[in-house]
Amino acid sequence: MSARATAWAVLRRDVRIEARSREALLAMGFYALLVLVVFSFAFSADADLTLRAGGGVLWVAILFAALVALDRGFAREAAEGTLSGLQTSPASAAAIMAGKFGSNLILILGMEVILLPLFAVFFNAPSGTNWGGMALVAFLGTWALAANGTYFSAMSLHTRQRGLLLPLVLLPVSIPAILAMVQGTQVYLTGEGMANYWLRLLIGYDVIFSVLGLALAEAVLAVE
Amino acid sequence: MLLAALWWALIGAPTEATMGTIQRIFYYHVPAAAASWTAFLINAAASLAYLKTRSLKADALAVAGAEVGLAFLTINLITGPIWARPVWGVWWEWDPRLTLTLAMWVMYASYLMLRQLTPESDHQPRLAAALAIFFAADIPIDYMAIRWWRTQHPQPVLFGGPDSGLAPRMLAALLLSMAAFLALMGMLLWLRYRQERLSQRLRLARQEQILSAVL
Repeated sequence: MSARATAWAVLRRDVRIEARSREALLAMGFYALLVLVVFSFAFSADADLTLRAGGGVLWVAILFAALVALDRGFAREAAEGTLSGLQTSPASAAAIMAGKFGSNLILILGMEVILLPLFAVFFNAPSGTNWGGMALVAFLGTWALAANGTYFSAMSLHTRQRGLLLPLVLLPVSIPAILAMVQGTQVYLTGEGMANYWLRLLIGYDVIFSVLGLALAEAVLAVE
Repeated sequence: MLLAALWWALIGAPTEATMGTIQRIFYYHVPAAAASWTAFLINAAASLAYLKTRSLKADALAVAGAEVGLAFLTINLITGPIWARPVWGVWWEWDPRLTLTLAMWVMYASYLMLRQLTPESDHQPRLAAALAIFFAADIPIDYMAIRWWRTQHPQPVLFGGPDSGLAPRMLAALLLSMAAFLALMGMLLWLRYRQERLSQRLRLARQEQILSAVL
């Protein structure tokens, strides 16, 4: 099988598993919703908060939920023993990584589709919000989280404190991306400022770390 | 060399115009960063070398580089706020340079945590090496941060635009301090490298002993 076909097969399999059980989607969605609700209590969500920190609140919620999804991605493989099957197949590590990335991306984006309207309601998103722009930032930002997250979740498979290590390692590297996501969202939410700079930063970040992740996939996914 | 640098920093260099005596921290703050980044770059190169050759020497050098680099970065991150408080009025600012440097500190701390939390195997150095290469991307970005963005942190003094430059005696003090710090870093690196090599050999010997007892 060609690399692209392998990646596609891995992706489709994961999406199919998820579509049938929907457990991850529901868990993540609920988790993110809870974070939003807690934030709204903690900061008494009014129009002022949304204008000043709406982007940050939204992305913190997405980040927490994404960590749940990423952790499960490879963990389920290891638990069910399908990981060795993948590793010993002639599939290249990069193809497996790409497939996993794709399924994580779809999962997190799916959750965001549910979350964004809820966010708009609870946090009284202003009427001037540019939703097309929001969708773009959400996509690019999620790409960044999924790319690094998939890579680091593969890396943390063999460690003892997997749940601890993944956020510890993922968050520092993602800081430039998170900054861009939050600022970009803020621009589109409030209608003030220019988003071009943040979009370019996100695209550049996505490209660099996707390439790095694929190039170094061998190092984390090779056979024991 | 360190003692000479200390004298020079405290007495030899002339007092800076705007900031007064506190500016002398500059002679520790900047060389600490230079030493730290050099150590991290060595870590990155050693990690790449490990991924290519699987040489245990490269791995030992990588660990040494990360630990020594982190130590010097800690010095940098402590002297910075000490300097900032009287001059800017605040201990900390979330500008790009400071944020990226703090992020770097957390990154390499998590690298060392990864090594700690991964059980001893052939895997561990490989995972750590891959991680180190990811983190090494932060170093050039952090360096360029004060050029690319308008930050609270002072603009480049040595290699900056037309307004930069140091008085000769200050420059001498800085260079001496740089040399002292880099020498210290090199020495610590060497010591840690040797220690890691020894513990690698110890581990191997123990494994062989267990195997020969079993077989």
